[in-house]
Order: sequence, then structure tokens, then C-alpha cells
Amino acid sequence: MKKRVIAALLTASMAVGLLAGCGSSGGDSGGESKEAGKQGKEASLRFIDVNPSPERQKYYEGVFQKFEEETGISVAYESVPWDDAADKLTVLGTSGQLPDVITTHPSWLGQFTEADWIMPVDDYVEEHGDEFVEAVKNINWAQEKEKYGHVYSIPDGFMVKGIFYRKDWVEEIGYEIPTGKDWTYDAYFDLIKALTDKEKKRYGNSFRGARGAFDPLLTYLQTFTGGYTYDEEGNFLLNSPECVEALEKWCEIYKDGYVPEDSVNWGFVEMVDNFTGGLTGTVSNDSEVAKACEEKMDPSQWGVLPMPVSTVDGKLLNSAGSPYSYTISKTSEYPEEALALVDFLVRPENNIEYCKMGGLIPIKNDVGDDETYGENGPYAPFLAQLNDPNFTVPPTYGAFNYTDLHQDMFHTELQKYLLGQQSAEDVLNHIGDELTARMKQYLADNEGAEVEKPKTMQPAAE
Amino acid sequence: MEKKRKREPWLFLLPVLVVLLLLFGYPLINSIVMAFQNYKLTAPNDIYFNGFENFKKLFGDPDGLMILKNSIIYVVISVAGQFLLGLTLALALKKQFKGRGLYQSIVFLPWAFSGFVVGLIFRWSFNGEYGVVNNLLMKLGIIDNNIAWLGTPGYSLAVVIIAMIWMGIPFFAIMILAALQSIPADVYEAADVDGCGTVRQFFQITLPYIKPTLITTVLLRTIWIFNSLDLVVIITDGGPANSSQTLPAYMYSKAFGSYDFGFAAALGVMLMIILGLYALIFLKVTKYDKAGDF
Repeated sequence: MKKRVIAALLTASMAVGLLAGCGSSGGDSGGESKEAGKQGKEASLRFIDVNPSPERQKYYEGVFQKFEEETGISVAYESVPWDDAADKLTVLGTSGQLPDVITTHPSWLGQFTEADWIMPVDDYVEEHGDEFVEAVKNINWAQEKEKYGHVYSIPDGFMVKGIFYRKDWVEEIGYEIPTGKDWTYDAYFDLIKALTDKEKKRYGNSFRGARGAFDPLLTYLQTFTGGYTYDEEGNFLLNSPECVEALEKWCEIYKDGYVPEDSVNWGFVEMVDNFTGGLTGTVSNDSEVAKACEEKMDPSQWGVLPMPVSTVDGKLLNSAGSPYSYTISKTSEYPEEALALVDFLVRPENNIEYCKMGGLIPIKNDVGDDETYGENGPYAPFLAQLNDPNFTVPPTYGAFNYTDLHQDMFHTELQKYLLGQQSAEDVLNHIGDELTARMKQYLADNEGAEVEKPKTMQPAAE
Repeated sequence: MEKKRKREPWLFLLPVLVVLLLLFGYPLINSIVMAFQNYKLTAPNDIYFNGFENFKKLFGDPDGLMILKNSIIYVVISVAGQFLLGLTLALALKKQFKGRGLYQSIVFLPWAFSGFVVGLIFRWSFNGEYGVVNNLLMKLGIIDNNIAWLGTPGYSLAVVIIAMIWMGIPFFAIMILAALQSIPADVYEAADVDGCGTVRQFFQITLPYIKPTLITTVLLRTIWIFNSLDLVVIITDGGPANSSQTLPAYMYSKAFGSYDFGFAAALGVMLMIILGLYALIFLKVTKYDKAGDF
């Protein structure tokens, strides 16, 4: 008998321990805030960050402080490490305990809307839509409406690709960089060649030969197919004769010595270091690189160009996207206040501060004369791309898992061509065969799934 | 009582046995099991036995032969280089001279560095644009243009080998020096009296005396070098186009780059078989049991 009692007690204590573990900070503070809200009428909100860092926490707590000063509504900052975020939010969602405002990854929206955990924000979009850049309206929101019937989220910023270049070198050689429709990939290659001066130890470009090497190339090849990677049946399109020729042209700058020979081994770090270090004249990458440029270079030394446009149809292909967006929980007791908080977060001054932290581009047009994003700031070309009617976000490799290819096959195949061990056609055929097989398998396994289309600023054209 | 006596040693050994079983036995068996599974971390809900599929993929890998060849070149040249230079160093340090202690501690320093640090030093020294090696070769008039050491197949593996040799010389030197110092001086004195020359003394006295140490050291180093992947991963990451890839580095990239643990485990099992066979044959050929008996 005694034993049984002890066993029961132990079991009970373990169960309590388990519950405590599950609840953690989220559940506990949730309970408290609700109580406080009821007792003292004053609204208080819970906010959850799914990609916390000391810097982000400091930013959010600062903004919440300002929000409270302005509205009298207090906001509790909660966080969950990225690796556990999806699980944790699922647990909170199922138990009806989601915080009022949630930073949401784009890939979660399907689950959240299907489970009916978040609130549509159509009215807000109707009222405030004009303040946002075109890409938010025509790509993010248009897509959400198409996929889920409503708009549910407000993006936190944009990660946009651009071409960073040495302004001082261009001035020095008196080179005129073409703009608008004339700023094509061919013009980009010409610029690379013009900037190369081996006597002065200058190369035209930070070429990417190692991990990730195929990503910028993919976008370039897509300019020949209107932004598509596959046809409707899932056949890889990028091994056509034009694409083979394009790959040869892409690699010409390596083979003809306009980039360092070592760059066959370069990944992100080497590309950026050698640009900021003064060895290369251009580097094509995400807007976050601007942070490194700001830290290590003089403002007179560097500038940003938009991604080149397609020689075929003039589209500006840019694999841009929003890292996260803000959504509002349906279980929120103060939905209006929650929306006010989101609106406060994307207010130009707050959004600008947020975007600077992660090298992002703000989502609102009103950036005033901010020294970074304003008309004369180095990031202005990024913002301009987001309002360009030709701006197109092409799909990538597909919705299936391709990590193994990305870590190995993609760049190894390309390196073999760069080193003269196989032809350009072989590269695209080998990669194409593998991707076609996976795409077809994916389409067969997922009923109703379709090949992803490029997202353009003209919804009617789709 | 008798029974208890017999059990006693096992009881004393028990803690060690348990630790060994937990830390070596379990992972070993688990990785052998994994080698016959479709085990991809990217699809954790889709793990199943797939027979010899991983091994088929391994032997069908178009770069497989090249990687095996790289591994053999890497191990043979590294061990030979370390052995010869280590032996030379040990012989040089055998005699007393002024400042020997200081000299000794300096030349043994590379062994104290972590592979990561050594890898970074060599990666930067052989950098095609800023590297000190190209700079020196240029100044000496040996080359006219920079060489892309890490971007050229062949050279990139050579850099890894040079780094490995540099790092491993001290270990050979320490082991051999210890063995040398244990040779009784009177043997040499007797040889001198008998009119035996230095070269003959080396081959007839020194070598036989240190043979057991040499065999153990070569065996250990071969296995360590064969299994080591830090220098490859840090200096070249196997590139370009796998031209400096070795089996363990390839295994690492399959496991932690592509998350294909099944395939990586199959590679691991192959590695284990290769090294097991090597150890058996090596010990047999060198007559390890009889070494030192003369």
C-alpha cells in the first residue's frame, strides 16, 4: 500500500513537471496578462518572436515601450528559438493559447489559416494598402488572397537581391552603366569585363563556384523561360539550347580570367570578403550584404544596381521574399489593439530601424530622406526594384526537398564544367534529369499540386 | 567462495565494460544498422531498410574511385613524409647541443595546434591572390603568375598533404626520439671498437632497436590520417569538384551537408573494413610479434 501511494505521488509530481515544461513562458505569462486585462480594463498584448536574438529582443522591447507610451497598451515580449518555433506554435494553436501577435514564417500560413488560428486583415489592407510598396500588394497579398481567400499577414520587410559594385572604380575608368531596359545580363557581363584590371589586382566580379553557385545562375537561366523552372508536367526547362549557351556565357567570365581563379571554391563569405576587401568589382547577392559594405567600406566606394533584366522579355527576375510576417491570433482578446501594434511595428520609422538590423528593405514607400533607404541612400535601388512593374519573383527548384542537391550536386556539376571536365550541356542535363525526376515524383505524391509559377506584379497576366 | 573469486575481476571491470558498450558498442552497431537503411534526416518519417541500396549507390558513385584514389595518395604521402622528416628530426635531436631544449619545444609546436588552426593557416598561406606562398615564389622568380592552389585539381590535394605532413612530423619525432634514447650507449661503443661505420650502425643497431616503435607509430598514424577530415574540410572542403575529397571528408559532407545518414553510414562501414584489413595485413607483414627480438 505504502509503495502504491509513493508511486502515485511520484507519477503525479512527474505529470506536473511535464505540464510545467510544456507551458513554459508562453503559457504562463499568457494567463497572467489575460487576468490583468480583465481586472484592470487596460489592454495588454502578448507578442511572440520566432527568430530571437539579443539584438531583435532589444529592438522589440524598445518599440513596445514606445507603443505603450503612445497608447497605454503594454506588450509582453515572448520568444521561442527558431528550431522549436513550428512545434511550439502548433501546441499553442491547438490549445487556443496563441499570443496576440505572431511573427510568422511564410510557409506556416497554410497551416495557420486551415486551422483557423489567425484573423484576416482585409479591412486594414483596404484602408492602408496604398502606403505599402507595390511588391507587397501585388505579390504578397495577391498571393495570400488567391491561396487562402483573404489577406492574413503584414510582412516585416523584404530581402531583395541586387548587384553591389565599386562606384569609385566605375568613375575611375569613366564607364557608363546602362539603365532600365538596357541593363541586361549582357550589360552586366560587359561591366565585369570593363572593371577587370589585373595589373592593379582588380577582378570584375566575386564569382560563386562553391555551395550555392547554382542559385544566381538559376535566376539568369530563368530569364530565358519567362521565369519558369519546369513546364506544367514537371519537366525541367532550363536545359534548352539557349540555356546551355547562357551557362557558357555565365562561365566565360571565369574561364577567361575576369574573376579570380580561386573563386571556383568561393561561397558567400569569400564573395563578400573579397568585394569589401577590394579584390573584386561587383558581387550579386542579398540586400544584407550592404551591412558588410557599410561596415568595411567608405560610402564613396560602393553602390547598388538593380538585378539585370531579361534580354528576352524585359522582366526583372529577383528571388526576393519577406523573411517573416505579422499575423494576429483569432483567440486574441484585443484584436483591435493587436492590429494597432502591427501597424505601429510597420510604421516607417520603426520598420526602417527593424530593416537596418537585418539588411532588409522596408515595406512602405514613405522612407523620407533616410540616409540608407531614401532617394540618395545606398539602398534606394532595392526599394525601386520593389516598385518596378517588371519585378518578378521566380520559383526556385520546387516544393520538394533538394537540400542534398544544393549541398553537393549543383555546384559540383558546375565546377566540373569550370575545370573543363564536362560540357555545359552535361551540367544542365545531369541537374535537369535529377530535378525532373523529383518534380514528377512530387506531383504524383501530392494530388492537386501544381508546378509553381513566377510571381509578377501584373496578376492579370498570370 | 571459489565462484566468487572467479567473478571478482569481472566485477572490477564492469564499469569500464559498461562505458565501452555504451560509448563504442552502441554507436558502432547502430551505424552498421543505419548503413542498410534509407535514413535521411530531411525525411525523418520515412526511414526503412533498403538492403544494399546505399552500398550500390556508393560503388556507383561517379566520383567514388577518384575519392578512394585521393584517400590513398593522401595517406601514403602524408605518412611517408611525416615518417622520413620525423626520423630525421629525431636523429638530429638525439645528440646534446646548446639550446636543444628550446629548439625541441619549438619544432614540436605544430603538434600542439588544433587541426582547425592549422587548416586556416594553410588556407590563407596558399590563397591564390593574397597568399604568402605565391608571394615568396614570385619574389624568388620561380613563378610569373599567381597559382590558384586551392582552385586547381591536384594542387588543392597537395596543399592538404603538405599541411598534414607539417602537423604530424613532431609526433613521429617524439616517438622515435624516445625510442632512440632507450638504446643503450654501450652497444654503439662496442660497434665503434669493432670498427663499424655510422651508416652500418644506423641500419644494424638503431633501426632494429626502434622497429617496434616505428611499426606502432606508422600503424597509428596511418589510421589517424586516413580517418582525419578536419584539414580537408577546412582547407578545401573537398573542392574543386571533389578533386581533393577523401573518404572520411566525403562521409562528413554526406552526413552533415546532405543529411543522408544511411549513405554516410555505408561509407563508414566501408572505411572500417578497409582499415581493419590494413591493420591485419600490416601487422602480419611487419612481423610485429617478433619485432625487436634479435
